[in-house]
Amino acid sequence: MLPLRLLWRNWRSGEVRILAGALILAVAVVSCISMFTDRLDTALTAQSHTFLGADRVVRSSQPRPPEWQPLADKYQLGTATTIRFNSMVYSGDNMHLASVKAVSAAYPLLGELTISEQPFATDPEKISVAAGGPPAGQAWVDSRLLPLLDVSLGEEVVVGEKPLTITRVIIDEPDRGSNFSAFGARLMMNESDLAATRVIQPGSRVRYSWLLSGPENTLRSMLAELKPLLSPHERIVDVESAQQGLAKTLDTGRKFLMLSAMISVLLAGVAIAIAARRFAQRHVDQVALMKSLGAGCNKIRRLYAVQLLVLSLAASLIGLLLGSGLQALVAASVSSLFPVQLAAPGWTSLLPGLLTGIVCLVFFVAPPLWHLPTVPPIKILRRELAVSSVHYYWQAFLGLLAMIFLVVLFSRDWWLSGSIVLAIIALLVLVAAFATLLLGLGRQLGRRAGSVWRLALSGLQRNAQQSVVQMMVFGLAIMLLLSLTSLRTTLLEDWQLQLPSGTPNHFLMNIATDEVPQITAMMAQRDLEPQHMFPMVRGRLTHINGQEPTDEIRQRAEMLRREVNLSWTDTMSSDNKIVAGDWWDGWHERGVYGVSVEEQTAQDLGLELGDDLQFSLGGLRLEARVASIRSLKWDSMNPNFFFLLSPGALDDFSPTYLTSVYLPPEQKLFINQLLGAFPTVVVIEMDRVIAQIQAIVAQVSAGVELMLWLVVLGGFFVMWAAVSASMESRMQEAALLRALGSSRQRLLGSLWIEFSLLGFFSGVMAAVGAEILLLSIQYWVLDIPLRFHWQVWLLGIAGSALLIGLLGVISCRKVIHTPPGRMLREIA
Amino acid sequence: MLQAQALTKRVTTAAGTLTILSEVSLQVSAGDSLAITGASGSGKSTLLGILAGLDQPSSGSVILHQHDLTALSEEKRARVRAEHVGFVFQSFQLLPGLTALENVMMPLELHGVDNARGKAEFFLTRVGLNDRLQHYPQQLSGGEQQRVAIARAFASEPDILFADEPTGNLDSTTGAHVIDLLFELNREHNTTLVLVTHEQRLAERCRQRVSLEGGKVVERRPCEAA
Ligand SMILES: Nc1ncnc2c1ncn2[C@@H]1O[C@H](COP(=O)(O)OP(=O)(O)OP(=O)(O)O)[C@@H](O)[C@H]1O
Ligand SMILES: [Mg+2]
Repeated sequence: MLPLRLLWRNWRSGEVRILAGALILAVAVVSCISMFTDRLDTALTAQSHTFLGADRVVRSSQPRPPEWQPLADKYQLGTATTIRFNSMVYSGDNMHLASVKAVSAAYPLLGELTISEQPFATDPEKISVAAGGPPAGQAWVDSRLLPLLDVSLGEEVVVGEKPLTITRVIIDEPDRGSNFSAFGARLMMNESDLAATRVIQPGSRVRYSWLLSGPENTLRSMLAELKPLLSPHERIVDVESAQQGLAKTLDTGRKFLMLSAMISVLLAGVAIAIAARRFAQRHVDQVALMKSLGAGCNKIRRLYAVQLLVLSLAASLIGLLLGSGLQALVAASVSSLFPVQLAAPGWTSLLPGLLTGIVCLVFFVAPPLWHLPTVPPIKILRRELAVSSVHYYWQAFLGLLAMIFLVVLFSRDWWLSGSIVLAIIALLVLVAAFATLLLGLGRQLGRRAGSVWRLALSGLQRNAQQSVVQMMVFGLAIMLLLSLTSLRTTLLEDWQLQLPSGTPNHFLMNIATDEVPQITAMMAQRDLEPQHMFPMVRGRLTHINGQEPTDEIRQRAEMLRREVNLSWTDTMSSDNKIVAGDWWDGWHERGVYGVSVEEQTAQDLGLELGDDLQFSLGGLRLEARVASIRSLKWDSMNPNFFFLLSPGALDDFSPTYLTSVYLPPEQKLFINQLLGAFPTVVVIEMDRVIAQIQAIVAQVSAGVELMLWLVVLGGFFVMWAAVSASMESRMQEAALLRALGSSRQRLLGSLWIEFSLLGFFSGVMAAVGAEILLLSIQYWVLDIPLRFHWQVWLLGIAGSALLIGLLGVISCRKVIHTPPGRMLREIA
Repeated sequence: MLQAQALTKRVTTAAGTLTILSEVSLQVSAGDSLAITGASGSGKSTLLGILAGLDQPSSGSVILHQHDLTALSEEKRARVRAEHVGFVFQSFQLLPGLTALENVMMPLELHGVDNARGKAEFFLTRVGLNDRLQHYPQQLSGGEQQRVAIARAFASEPDILFADEPTGNLDSTTGAHVIDLLFELNREHNTTLVLVTHEQRLAERCRQRVSLEGGKVVERRPCEAA
């Protein structure tokens, strides 16, 4: 009871407010971020799973060995099968090379297979979610198959030797992915009808997928048992491999959020440490008094421990509430823009916040207060008696320790923590060295300066140690703020570039040469702007430098086992980059066509500049020499090719064309019209994927934005704490000066100069530290190009001089506007 | 009540060993009053601190209410202080964040006394501050602050009260009021009084007086009660 009453009185007199505020902030930031990333993770995983149609898929070119199924049963996993192949389907005289998918009853395990009784339906009323695949004897098909075969729902088509009744059209299937090789329209049938079609013969190209779903742990154990049984043809596909681009964005975002969480905890920690130190100083007299009144050391320790415990607990609780409120706000603001629902955060995501509260208590609050209970009672009679307190070095050391602890807790990213620790140490050393130098220099200057300047400089010198510590604190806060602001800008720009609004969200493939002008015209009528029309020929790479590829290379490069898309162009897409060799304008070999190869492909095939490649295009030969190697961004949603040939190379090979276009949602029906007019054109709809990626990027961006503000708040707390810590001695001095007849203007002027100088020096050193930190983070952690940050220098130095000057003057305004007599009495 | 035997206090400083007190002995019986006088720097506060058990002598012993303070640990001495001792200081030592009432309640709360509020209100009324209960020290004059301190000292009903220049920061009229109050309460509660002062007037009201100079007792006389 007593500790609570004391705590309440301390709160009332304002002594623990900064402490509580900073503690709340630290816990709020961490819990906000951990909940937010937890939700994003869950969303991403769920989303990716629905793209797979399962938690894991085992892909194979062979039917599944019978001994696998008992394994899945043993672990009670959900299973389903899909078997995909291309086959002619017939209706009367019409035929189409369809992309057939035979599925088992449980398909899909995750995600939604949506169907309709109305071809090309877009009205949600008309679309329903299928409970499983088509029943035996039935087929569900892509809407576009109907005009291609000139049939309608309820009529029959023949697959191989098996007639099937078309009962539904497929609107969307989860694991369709963005597979460009799926030329034909989809026909989905029941697995049990497969044998009767007799289309699968030895040597047919068939892809077997075994879909698995279940709890993560169980899945892992089962897959561990399965792995030794797999042959080289069989491959386990998980979420990560399904969505690499998005995963990378999210990973960078998560790193940034973690970084800002750590920084704001650090800032809050420094604020807490300063506030705790000040609290300890102010309580020396109180402890001496309580001791003289007969309270023993243990009793006092208990009193303060309980107070701090209660304070931290309350602050952590408020922090948790605040944190969850904030993350809900971000999530809500984003989901109003995008149709994405985030799952509620898991309970475990509360843990980091609570741990942060404990870490702050142990590393930042406890050390400065450690000696408080040992204040000797005689202090009450002998005011001048020195009281031992924790040295600044110790506190700095403990702070670093806390930082390392937090890094381990949150990210386990050693490069990141290394960069930060390095920058902080560099900053502290820099400050210590410069501050000594500057203060000495200031003394020289001060002698010659005008009276206001002299007053200010002597103010800095009188409290030399305090000035140095303040400079360190200001420098640290400003450095971290600068780094974070500039990182955020870089990241947001980077992401914005990745998928700007208006990113093409539909691919049109298989456009015949004579259809190109018609389709272009049709789009122009609707104000649609197609990207470049890429000519495309399918071919197989047969020889490298006149040799057939070795088995080893064959094993590595899947593309040797199938046909790939070849194209030519004279202008390179903006997201392609030459990493070796020259683009056509710099390539001048005569008598042979050039080919530009994608980086990873070149690596897999062991290709180098000048190697000769031979392709087989429908039985015809094409030879080309490697002219350049390109890197490209697969997640940019532009048509991309492994092999790009020099202009004219494909002229003899009757190409089809490929393009991409941005279709705004209200123009979605254009697809139906297009397919009605050109049934052989293949449309790949990426709009859903892109919208989801954009939603997630927007989420992360909003999180990043919010974080920045919280960190700014943390920085503000630190500065406030540091300024208020020196307030008492300053007030005393100022009051004395006023009493001795200094004018208000003179005092104000000297305060401005004193604090602005402090800010200026801190700003210079912060800018140096920030530049070091930024460059190392860019280089080691985020892996983005190095850039010099002139804004950091400008903003850091000018901004901090102004800000700290202002902060100092505002907190000292009381001195200036109170009559000196009263001031002295209040201080005494 | 209080018995000091050959108290010596030495401190080591950079300039060598300094003897602040040497061979000071004295005795005060229950209900009695003792004034310690002397020039500034003569060791008065040091002696008071040792007598009250706030500090330890280099040699000698202090027996307070049958407890040998010099043989006890700080923890045990604290318990003795809690049970028997009260203080009044020259600079009042009120906590700035607490109201007058809370300041007086503090020691009572610290020792878990029942009805701390009632007792505190009683003593504040006794020192004439019943209308200033909720005021903070900043809002009180020096004399009022010292009266709050006296209320605080008597509220825990100590057997012996130590005061270090209780009037040192007050003008003479206010000081006189404060002294009257001290002696009245001394009589009412039969509290033993030990006070440090260089005010003749105050010293003369005590039944016993010791005068220090350079840490030694130079004069010692029992006064007639005023
Ligand atoms: N721990 C210590 N270290 C060094 N010197 C000390 C210490 N304690 C006391 N002194 C010195 O001993 C002398 C006596 O101090 P003390 O405070 O007892 O004097 P005092 O009689 O109370 O003086 P005043 O009337 O000014 O309060 C002083 O010169 C003081 O500086
Ligand atoms: Mg003294």
